[in-house]
Amino acid sequence: MAWAPRHTPETTIAPWSRGHRSTGPARAGDSSPADAARAPLDYSLPVHRLLLVVTTRSYRAGAFVDAARALGLPLTVASERAQALAGLHPEGHLVIDASHPRAAADAIVRFAAHQPLSAIVAADDDGVAIAAAAAAALGLPHHPLAAVRAARDKHAMRETLAAAGVPGPAFARVSLSAPVADMADAPGFPCVVKPLGLSMSRGVMRAGDPAELARALERLSRLPGAGAEALVERYVTGPEVALEGLVTRGRLRTLALFDKPDPLEGPTFEETIYVTPSRLPAGTRRAVEGMAQRVVTALGLVHGPVHAELRIPPAGPIPIEIAPRSIGGLCSRALRFAGGATLEQVLLQHALQGEDPGQVREAQAAGVMMIPIPAAGTLRGVQGLDAARASPGIDEVRITIPVGDRVVPLPEGDRYLGFVFARAPEPAAAEAALRAAHRLLTFDIEPVPARGASIRP
Amino acid sequence: MITVTALARDKVLALLKSEGRQGLALRFAIDGRGPGGWQYRLGFVGPEERRGDDHVFEAGGFELLADPDTFAHADGTTIDFVETPEQSGFKIDNPNPVWGDPLAQAVQKVLDEDINPAVASHGGFVTLLDVKDQVVYIQLGGGCQGCGMVDVTLKQGIEVRIKEVVPEVRAIVDTTDHAGGRNPYYRPAKGTGASPWS
Repeated sequence: MAWAPRHTPETTIAPWSRGHRSTGPARAGDSSPADAARAPLDYSLPVHRLLLVVTTRSYRAGAFVDAARALGLPLTVASERAQALAGLHPEGHLVIDASHPRAAADAIVRFAAHQPLSAIVAADDDGVAIAAAAAAALGLPHHPLAAVRAARDKHAMRETLAAAGVPGPAFARVSLSAPVADMADAPGFPCVVKPLGLSMSRGVMRAGDPAELARALERLSRLPGAGAEALVERYVTGPEVALEGLVTRGRLRTLALFDKPDPLEGPTFEETIYVTPSRLPAGTRRAVEGMAQRVVTALGLVHGPVHAELRIPPAGPIPIEIAPRSIGGLCSRALRFAGGATLEQVLLQHALQGEDPGQVREAQAAGVMMIPIPAAGTLRGVQGLDAARASPGIDEVRITIPVGDRVVPLPEGDRYLGFVFARAPEPAAAEAALRAAHRLLTFDIEPVPARGASIRP
Repeated sequence: MITVTALARDKVLALLKSEGRQGLALRFAIDGRGPGGWQYRLGFVGPEERRGDDHVFEAGGFELLADPDTFAHADGTTIDFVETPEQSGFKIDNPNPVWGDPLAQAVQKVLDEDINPAVASHGGFVTLLDVKDQVVYIQLGGGCQGCGMVDVTLKQGIEVRIKEVVPEVRAIVDTTDHAGGRNPYYRPAKGTGASPWS
């Protein structure tokens, strides 16, 4: 039998209260998310220092550093490797052991004893558990660790949602080394194989029959970081949307709802175009937001950003995933809020104030294309950049893999080739601008055999 | 005046002879400023590449050319040739300061003494391009060009240090083409793997 025991999420840890900053780590089981939602806030406290947890492989560091600068906040960057100039500005840098989050959280608590912190924010997935633990220990607003852990583990998330009555596909946790024939409880076909902890579509593959499932599991077993088990869930039909939201005392506010106009039907799930505002009917948008709120509540997410993916079959929205962090890559550059604020400025204000600053996104439509990787190989050059940048509606084109580096498509690939950003009066025009600019780009990729390319799901 | 030592003259003449390029002139030019100060270029040029406003110096068997911009920053320079067991090459001894503006000199000193030795540990370097209206224009190279943490280096390190030591500086502008970085020290990627706590 290949199925693993069902996972039981841990109890949540202490809520935050800016008026009662703790001096040591809080204990698991101290209170519930509902308690956290009622925790009193003290807005009279002075703003001290903001701590950003970010790995040195993040795409997101610059946006948060810029936001802190724009808001005039003293910033400390906590990362797993030393920054080049840390010695010149010690209070601005902290090295943490990201492979041991408890030790990392303890290091942040020790640092805070000398440099008081007003907020802790994780730039992306890799730091969010550390930020949650450290924030809890210091009594700072953040999603609780238990909720973060449940959201970061795809199987734990499905179990938690199922227990709360949130609709979702049939699912099971499987060993990557187990024969498919032994998977008596398999959710049926077509199904989707997902690594438990990787993000941004890495390792996610669709399988239409047992043979494809076996190949997908075998391929996933060779992906570094995938672990020994995977989530297999029934494929959900329908268009997909992404919801960027902000949770305050457990209440979700949608910052942006993105349509994903390119079909995501497998065998891999390479995300390409995001366009906001959504062109879905108002009733469907409300249903999506309502479902996202149910997911937030079920997981116990109470304070901070969320990035949710949902599919919309005829019966209504189904959550695919929710991450307790903001949108990944450079995609946040597509979002602009009242007064020209960036998404990261909104998030930092929210973390510091304990309240939703309330900014709404600009009126015009915006879109981003995560440039699809056309082939595996070595990037030798990019043509058409100037023309793409000059294309109507285009704000920016950024190539993020240096010439000379390997490019690897999904499911193994772990880097974005680049991004195109557009703004237009209407969503359809923003989408058209992205597609037009992309057609002007040519990527010279020298083919090399990709690892695992001989086995296709 | 630009002086060519006897050793450098003999080396130039030997090169002209070995390459069959007798009769060509030697152009000496300053290409700009770099992490070690002035960046120089030496090259043989034919009659068609001479400029009417070149400063021309008879070096004993060939002519040395310097354009006006170069000469303005290189008057008094001596060009020598050094050969040791470890290295050999032309050595330029230029007595002129890399920057005339005291503010630029102060910023260059911070780069030379504090910042470049530190970023060198990541294979990077920072070049001061100009200082205008108390705004510092820099370019990052090597491991800093295209590095995923470049904003942390710039805003949490370079800016902080320069403004600390040279408070007259109003802003620092990074003019680097980071997309052109060939060997960034930290390369961004999607999540590195499952959370250790998941």
